[in-house]
Amino acid sequence: MASSGFEGFEKRLELVFTHAVVGGGGLQHGLRLLPVEALREALDAVQCAVVSAAGNAVFDAYVLSESSLFLYPSRVILKTCGTTRLLRAVPVLLRAAGELGLCLRSCRYSRGSYLFPEAQPFPHADFADEVRYLDGAVPGELRFRRSAVMPSRGSHRWHVYSASTSDGGDAPQPTVIEVCMTELDRTLAAQFYQRPGDARTSHAIGDEMTAASGIGGVNPRSLVCAYAFAPCGYSMNGLDGARYATVHVTPEDGHSYASYECAGDADSDSDAGALASIRRAVAAFRPAVVSVSVCYTGAVLLLPNTTDAASSVWAAVARALEPLGLACQSEAADDLPGAGTVTYQTFTAAACSDRHENP
Amino acid sequence: MAAEEGVVIACHTNEEFDAQMAKAAGKLVIIDFTASWCGPCRFIAPVFAEYAKKFPGAVFLKVDVDELKEVAEKYAVEAMPTFLYIKDGKEVDKVVGARKEELQSNIVKHIETGSASA
Repeated sequence: MASSGFEGFEKRLELVFTHAVVGGGGLQHGLRLLPVEALREALDAVQCAVVSAAGNAVFDAYVLSESSLFLYPSRVILKTCGTTRLLRAVPVLLRAAGELGLCLRSCRYSRGSYLFPEAQPFPHADFADEVRYLDGAVPGELRFRRSAVMPSRGSHRWHVYSASTSDGGDAPQPTVIEVCMTELDRTLAAQFYQRPGDARTSHAIGDEMTAASGIGGVNPRSLVCAYAFAPCGYSMNGLDGARYATVHVTPEDGHSYASYECAGDADSDSDAGALASIRRAVAAFRPAVVSVSVCYTGAVLLLPNTTDAASSVWAAVARALEPLGLACQSEAADDLPGAGTVTYQTFTAAACSDRHENP
Repeated sequence: MAAEEGVVIACHTNEEFDAQMAKAAGKLVIIDFTASWCGPCRFIAPVFAEYAKKFPGAVFLKVDVDELKEVAEKYAVEAMPTFLYIKDGKEVDKVVGARKEELQSNIVKHIETGSASA
């Protein structure tokens, strides 16, 4: 495999803040009041930029040159792909949030295994370096810390880091689902190339890709902000009340990659809906390899015939993907203090496995 | 009248908004629905001001959805920023989100159709 290609696998950072002083002004909108200059400074440090953005009554969603940024009053989610330096944003965001009277309550970082690890800049090439960087960047009050590398049967790993001011017992956090797909169906991936000479805007071409690929149908209620990159590639953010969803595609043959991420509403109905939405998102790409990580607090949804929340999540994810001809290859779960439980499953197209034949 | 060309006019009352819409009859009006707490609105505001300067033939209005709730409801604004393109009282186009290129290409499109039909 070529050693240089676009790195699809994203790094994902989630910071949750609390108000340092109760009763001050601007508490209602919190991080949404971060000045444009502060956001630019954070994104410059990461080496990416805003290409599109929209907000609703609950949160702001930005499409970036490398993936996405979501800002809720007390929560920021920054997800960047390629060779971006995501963790450089941490000190900038902490300082800017501090100026709004917010202090950090928890920090969670996650990523898969890179396609081109040797291309990653420090500290991202080595998870141990990332952990050291994060340990140094987050305040000492976040004393409950844990990092884990979750295995699969193959070479893929799921890397997670969490630091929190408490080891749980806080209000339930929204369930977050991260899906990473490689070896996309070639015909479907080809939809994410622009036609040469297409004079329309990147947004208009992105809108067309949203409709043609079926991504628009993953959550028909959401407002979709899509963006098509030249000559290929696609990003979208979906806004549906308090829930976000995001899709990113790098369709180049040989290292094709797509990701789908969505968050529930911290209630089990919306978690069930979010888990079911995985199938529609994965169907848009028909990948040969899929990994799904779910991070949840409390008992999300307990399915019949399952004994604990992790088994229940594994079963719901498997039930979403098996009808697409994907067979589960591995399951793992880990508890992170303050961040809840993280599950990690890998799937491959059943046609690739010895046990199944795709009809 | 001439003094208001090339700038974004912020409407702070329903009466002001109605007066500006009446005055703009025959021209292309672009309304920027915005909110003080919306980050994407702050990103696009300087671009909107730049286009106001660039296209003096059109009227650029700014409506804060918290200030003019009725206007925002009338036009069913749900996400921000929302840009409405209005001609002779009719909504001819809409851009939801901070979409810089589309914001401009729609202005060009509707100013051109205006001069062609005049």
